[in-house]
Amino acid sequence: MSGGRRKEEPPQPLLANGALKVSVWSKVLRSDAAWEDKDEFLDVIYWFRQIIAVVLGVIWGVLPLRGFLGIAGFCLINAGVLYLYFSNYLQIDEEEYGGTWELTKEGFMTSFALFMVCVAGNFTAGHLDHLLHCHPL
Amino acid sequence: MSTMFADTLLIVFISVCTALLAEGITWVLVYRTDKYKRLKAEVEKQSKKLEKKKETITESAGRQQKKKIERQEEKLKNNNRDLSMVRMKSMFAIGFCFTALMGMFNSIFDGRVVAKLPFTPLSYIQGLSHRNLLGDDTTDCSFIFLYILCTMSIRQNIQKILGLAPSRAATKQAK
Repeated sequence: MSGGRRKEEPPQPLLANGALKVSVWSKVLRSDAAWEDKDEFLDVIYWFRQIIAVVLGVIWGVLPLRGFLGIAGFCLINAGVLYLYFSNYLQIDEEEYGGTWELTKEGFMTSFALFMVCVAGNFTAGHLDHLLHCHPL
Repeated sequence: MSTMFADTLLIVFISVCTALLAEGITWVLVYRTDKYKRLKAEVEKQSKKLEKKKETITESAGRQQKKKIERQEEKLKNNNRDLSMVRMKSMFAIGFCFTALMGMFNSIFDGRVVAKLPFTPLSYIQGLSHRNLLGDDTTDCSFIFLYILCTMSIRQNIQKILGLAPSRAATKQAK
């Protein structure tokens, strides 16, 4: 596989401050995509974290995964998956964005809160369903 | 559908509505004004310029260059302060509305377990997560805890989707 980047695309305008155009998502899975706009890339990281939070929140709530093991698992998977994405898959220079820690912090607390909401919601739904089945009237 | 799960969904819905209400109030009082638009554009332009300048400056940069950066930082700080003053109007209005709304919701959901948590919160968080609930089951979740979690997650996402979140450069320079 060639390590070189394709010819540069004309810059795609963002919607103001955080929302992303559809064209940005087409770059997301291309390991050779050029990210001229730093904010654009950071927004992709941000939204990826929110998606991971919702997915893990639903799975953890349905399983259910109890205790702090579930929370620790979420933190590790959230940080780990994104780290592998930007470090190994995209091979971006973390220093351009303030280092690995800045990229890890991006959207983390919001995704954590979203994860907690999803896990509580799904656990509540599953918990009551379990009670209904264990105690038939 | 059980009452508890219905309460959970209702609180998520309330959180979405209050986030939209807060942004709506801010839009009416602040975002659509020319002064705010002008200040915001100025702050973002200056923040990006300053960030670029700081990246290229070296240890051996002259005193004049450093003084220039200090002057730009001062100008940016003043503009950020003016921007905060403009936003103050909406903050008061939102604070007032939300105090009334929270009082109402707290009395509606008082003593009600609105969700079950799959873990026992840390002891200093239990004061919030088990607020006004009867019994010793610390996995019971109160309205206020769930509402705070919803607000933390939903509000920022709504701001980003609507394009109302402040830029990262401006946030960084304001610190």
